[in-house]
This record gives sequence, structure tokens and C-alpha cells, in this order.
Amino acid sequence: MTALSTKPTDMETSSIDTKSIESKYKMIAENVTVSYDGIDAVKNVTMKFKEKSVTALIGPSGCGKTTFLRCLNRMHDMTKNAKVTGKVMIDDIDLYSKDIDPIYHRRKVGMVFQKPNPFPTMSIFDNVTAGLRLNGVRDKRILDEIVEDSLKMAYLWDEVKNDLKKSAIELSGGQQQRLCIARALAIQPEVLLMDEPASALDPIATQKIEETITELKKDYAIIIVTHNMQQAIRVSDYTGFMYLGDLIEFRETKKLFTDPKDELTAKYVQGHFG
Amino acid sequence: MNSIQNRRQEYRSLFKQNVAKRLLVDKIVRIIVFSCVIIAIIPLGSILVEVFKNGITAISIEFLTETPGSAGSGEGGIGPAIQGTLIIIGLSSLIGVPIGVMSGIFLSEYGDNKLARSVRFFNDVFMEFPSIILGIFAFLIIVLVLGHFSVWAGAFALSLIMFPIVARTTEESLKMVPITYREAGTALGLTKWIITFRIIISAAKSGMITGILLSVSRIGGETAPLIMTILGSSQFFSSMDTPMDALPLRIWRLSLLPYDSAQLQGWGAALVLIIIILGINLGVRYYFSNKKNLFFGKLIKQRRNTIK
Amino acid sequence: MTRLIDPSLHKLSFIMSEMGDMVIESISLAIDSYLTGTNTKDKVLELSDSIRTKYYEVEDLTFDMLLKYQPVADDFRLIRSSTEISYAFSRFGRYAYDITLVRDLFGDVSECTNASLVESTKKVKHMIKEAVLSFAELDIRKAIEIREDEKFIDKIYRERLPKLIESTNTRCALAEALLLRYLERIGDHAVFMSDAINYIVTGKHRPSEERIASHTKTD
Repeated sequence: MTALSTKPTDMETSSIDTKSIESKYKMIAENVTVSYDGIDAVKNVTMKFKEKSVTALIGPSGCGKTTFLRCLNRMHDMTKNAKVTGKVMIDDIDLYSKDIDPIYHRRKVGMVFQKPNPFPTMSIFDNVTAGLRLNGVRDKRILDEIVEDSLKMAYLWDEVKNDLKKSAIELSGGQQQRLCIARALAIQPEVLLMDEPASALDPIATQKIEETITELKKDYAIIIVTHNMQQAIRVSDYTGFMYLGDLIEFRETKKLFTDPKDELTAKYVQGHFG
Repeated sequence: MNSIQNRRQEYRSLFKQNVAKRLLVDKIVRIIVFSCVIIAIIPLGSILVEVFKNGITAISIEFLTETPGSAGSGEGGIGPAIQGTLIIIGLSSLIGVPIGVMSGIFLSEYGDNKLARSVRFFNDVFMEFPSIILGIFAFLIIVLVLGHFSVWAGAFALSLIMFPIVARTTEESLKMVPITYREAGTALGLTKWIITFRIIISAAKSGMITGILLSVSRIGGETAPLIMTILGSSQFFSSMDTPMDALPLRIWRLSLLPYDSAQLQGWGAALVLIIIILGINLGVRYYFSNKKNLFFGKLIKQRRNTIK
Repeated sequence: MTRLIDPSLHKLSFIMSEMGDMVIESISLAIDSYLTGTNTKDKVLELSDSIRTKYYEVEDLTFDMLLKYQPVADDFRLIRSSTEISYAFSRFGRYAYDITLVRDLFGDVSECTNASLVESTKKVKHMIKEAVLSFAELDIRKAIEIREDEKFIDKIYRERLPKLIESTNTRCALAEALLLRYLERIGDHAVFMSDAINYIVTGKHRPSEERIASHTKTD
């Protein structure tokens, strides 16, 4: 497990640090606004996410962080009355552009939810391959390979490799969540979205999830919504603080938590509200 | 600190008095609830006992397989009625279940609009329709138009009874599946219909089957619509365009005859009908259950695995 | 809204302010004992020991807060700097005691006093007062004065030492050398302390490091 990074960059003067150093941006969300029935839940937020990094989104309940996260893979298409404007670019393709097939591109972004939700009537194997089988992938050899790969990346392979036909709901909470991570990874995404992935789990399971995230960041851009600030400090490279729909501050994690530029950020992280 | 202790003493003395009374009330309510249950069960139980008692003597191979003899002779059996009931239930299900399930899916998954609300409303109204009216409807539409009683008409009438029940229960079962599974499916890049048919339905299986079995049990005993559509007969099934017999019809006819032997046969038919309905229920439940420890469950699973 | 960490933070600031007062007192007493010949060794020793005890208290308290509350932002910087500052305080107490030992060892050296010594000791007293006040009020403007004082003390130190080597009065020379050495060390720690205070307020680390490195080279 890595300790806090100590990169000394003193270049920020504003609360939003969007200067890139070397690595490029995997995903860029530009001027994203989400409104429900005329009320803005996310107000004109712009964020850039580097490849092979973890970005944490923090903020009090109702600040819009989950709503924003769900824009990144167009989950709001499912929600009635939700209006989303702005751009979400993965490698220069705007997910919200009218010319592209949202379902195809949605697969570039995997998502893990707050409460583990493996499909209840399927086995472990079937769960991991759900995104592939149900899309027509039949080759057993490929499925076997992908199952092993994904479960290994999610740190679950050793625990379940002997009984992949077991029903998914017989696993413990932490295992189920790692299964969901494996299921998301199986469709070969490039970005992984996690909505408070450990909040429903006990501390040991949480630790395993955090270790998994730290390993995964070597290959994926990960964006994680969390209400646990210590978790954000432990796993993330960048942190964005949102409040009432606005992005208040976005910086390297260590900087944001040791020397926040915005008064509101300082108040929130020190527990004065929220 | 003393004041807290004083307060505690004060409150505690209150508790003591109430507890005994509350336990007594608790007991009384329990007794009342149990008695209600017993009161409700007794008639049902006694019906089963009566039917069994009266009908068991009528059962024999001949009874179950032969055509009815002449009225009052005490000979013959209810073979055609049994066959007819099975056929009519099967046919009606073939029509009513798919339509009902599809409507249920529409109402649950695509149903957040005005059209769905109207459909739902009419569905609920429809469910309460007296079955004789549905029978008359089928009579008017099919029997009169074609000019004869037929199995088509009967299946049609019964499917009309089935389909609202199936639609409603399917919708409710699907709605009970937490939305998070649909979200997970969407996040995996699956289309809505794949999510609905390959994931949500299997999760809602048990509720849907209950609904289907409910409707099957319902139509198994319907008499009025059958009178107007398949009429009844003393012969085994011949073709879809002719009248056919069914157990409710046979029971009704037998019960109207003044002969003791006919009465006995009526009881026997009633017993057979109950057994058939029970059998369908238990059998289907069993087949679709997820019990792994039961022997037959394991057997079925092993066979499936070897086939794979 | 009182947070869980607030009572501990109050306790920390109370202990630190006590230490600050003791530091001012002990250094004043020590310097006066050198300049005027009074024997204040026992009193200063007592103060120095108290400061040391409080230093351990602060260590325990800050690590306890880290363990329990995982503080961030201002709280974090305050706690981090408090460990550095309380260490500086313990050093001040120790040097104060060392100075009284000089007077003790060498006897009354009040006649060895000269103008530059008087100036440096005045600066040290001023510097310490400013440092403690700067921490109490988190006022980083005082840092400039503190650094000016420290530069002066350094200058005197560098000027006087070669002269002391030539001096004929070994007793005075040695006593003065020792004193200047301790004053120079006090000065350094005062600057580290002002850096730590700067970190609390601005979040920037150790701005003086480069400066000290540079002016020991160029001079």
C-alpha cells in the first residue's frame, strides 16, 4: 500500500488545478449540468481525469457527487425527468454526442455501485461474464480466460476459483462487491466508476477493496465517490470537493487535505459541517 | 446524580403496574388471532374432508378413463371431463400466459406514461369482471359467429379471465426486483430488453409463477364460461371446433341428476378436480424451485450439467 | 459545533502557551545571570525540566490526536508544527540552562561583557518573545523580524569568533565563545520555529532551509 504521495508542485493559485504534467487525460467532463424538473443538481462542472490515476469525489450528502458520477456513463438516460447538458469525452469521443451509439461507448466505462448487486439468479461465473454473454460472446475459451483475469484483478480468484458455479449471493458482502468489480472489469473498460464502493462493507472488506483499487489504478482511470475522507486520502491521487452542485476545489489529494485553498473545503474536511 | 436515580425509581414503579396488564392483553390478542385462523380454516378443511370422504369411493380406473354411462346407471366415468379440463387449461394458458406476461412486462418496465396507467386501470377492472359475462362475450364473438360451440371459444373465454391476473402479478413481481439490478445491467452496456428478459425475469420468477398458478387454479374451476362456449359432451375430445367436456361441467351436470350414483360420481369428479389443481401447483412449484438439498432437485441439476 | 478533536486542540494550545511563557522566562533569567553575575541555575534548571516534561506531553497528545481523529487541513498543520515547535521550546530551555552553567562554571563573568554581547543578548530576548507571540497569534509577519534578529546574531557570531581566538583573556574568551554558540543555536531554532508557524498559516514547507544553506555559503 502506498503512503501519501509527496509531489511538490506549488503552481496552483486558483482552487481548481487543471495543469497537466506529463500523463494525458483519459476522461474530460466539460460544463456538465444536470437538472431534475428544472432544479440543478450539478451546476456546470468541469473535471479532467488522468489515465492510471484515482480521483476521489467528496462532499456532504446531496452535493451532487453521485449525480455527477452517473453522468460519466450516461446512467441518467434511465432516469425520467433528468436533463444532462455538457460533454463527457473519453479519448476525444464525446459520450453525449448524437452521432455515437451510447450503448457501445458505455462499455468503455465500468461502474460499481454502493450496495453490492451481483445478479441474484446467476452463478459467480455467469455474473462475471454477464456483460459478455448477454451481448453475444459465446466462445467458452475466451469466457474462461476473461473470468480468471477479471477475478484475479479484483483479488477474488483465489477465494472462488474452486467453485465458480456457486450462486453469487452465497458470497459475503465484501466478496460480492469484488465480484461486481470483476464483472465491471470483464467488459474491458478503460475507466472505472465507483459509487461509495465500500460504504456497505465491514472494515476488513473495505481494506481489501482499497487494496484492489490501488492495484487497479496501474491500468485504469478510476473515479470514486466516497464520504470517507480517510479513504480518499489513502487511495486517491486527486480529489474534487463538491457542494450543492458546484465543484468547489479540485487538486492533488495531499494538497487538498493538508492545505485547502477554499475556506469551504477547509471547513468540510475538518468536520465543521456535513 | 441522585435526581436521575429518583427519576428512575419513579418511572420504574410505573412500569411494574403496566406490564402485567400488557402481557394479559397480549395473550388475549393472541388467542383471538388464533381463533380467527381456526375459524377460517375449519370450513376449508371440512370441504376437503367432505369431498375426500364422499368422493374416494367413486375413484377407480374405469371411473377415470371411461366415458359417462347413461344417466343414473352408475356406470361409466369422467374420462372425457378429465381430458377436457387438462386441454382447456393448457390451451387457455398458452393464450393467456404469454399475453399476460408481456402486458406485465410492459406495465412494469415501460410503464411510466399515460397509456400504461390506462392499461393498468382497465386491467384491474377486468380482473373483477364476473366470469359469466366473459363467457357471454366469448359466446357472442366466437360461438355465434362460427355457428357452433367449440374449444376455441372456451380457451378464449378462460384466457380472458387468466390474462389480467397474470399481467398484474407479473407486473408486481417485476417491480419487486430492486432497481439496482437494472442499473447494473445498464452499466454493463446491455440493452433494456436483454436486461428485462435475461436478468430481471429470472429474479422475479417465483412471484410470476405464483401468479400464473393462481390464474390456472382459478380457471380450472370456472364453470359459467364453459357452459356458453364448450357446452360439455359425453365424448372424448374430437376436434377444436366441437364441444368438449370439462370437470366443472361434468360435476354440475352430475349434481343436477336425482340419482345417488350420479351424486357419487359428482363427488368423485370434484375430488379429481381438486387433486389435479393441487398437483399442477405442487409440480410446477417444485420444478422451478431453487432447493438444492432435495433429492429430485439434485437429480434434475445433475442431468442438466451432464447435458452441458 | 464542537468536534471531537476540539477539547484536545484546546489542551494542546494551553500546554504550548505555558511552555512559551516558561521559555521566555528561562532565557531571560539565563542571559541576565550571565550579564549580571546572578546565580539562577536552579530556577532555570527547574524551568528547563518543566519544559522538557511538557514537550513529552505534547508529543503524546499530538500522536494521540493523530491516532484518534486523523486530522486534516488546518488541524493537521497545527498539530504537525506543534511537535516541531515544542521541540524548539525544549531546546530553548536546554540552552538557557547551558548558559547558566557557563556562569556557574566560569564564575562571575559580568566584566567580560562587551557591547556586541549586550546587543546580541538583547536581540535574542526580543527574538524569543516575538517567536512565542507569533505562535500564539499565528502572525507570520513577525517571521521577518525573527529572521533579521537571527541574521544579526549569526553575524556577531562569525565576527567575534576569530577575534576571540586572538584574545588574551582566556576565561572571558571561552565564556563568550560558549555563550555566542548557544545564542547562535537559539537563533537557528527560532527560525525553524517561525518556519513551522509559517507552515501552519500558509501550508508551505521550510522556506528558510534554502536561505540558511545559501548564507552560510556566501558569507
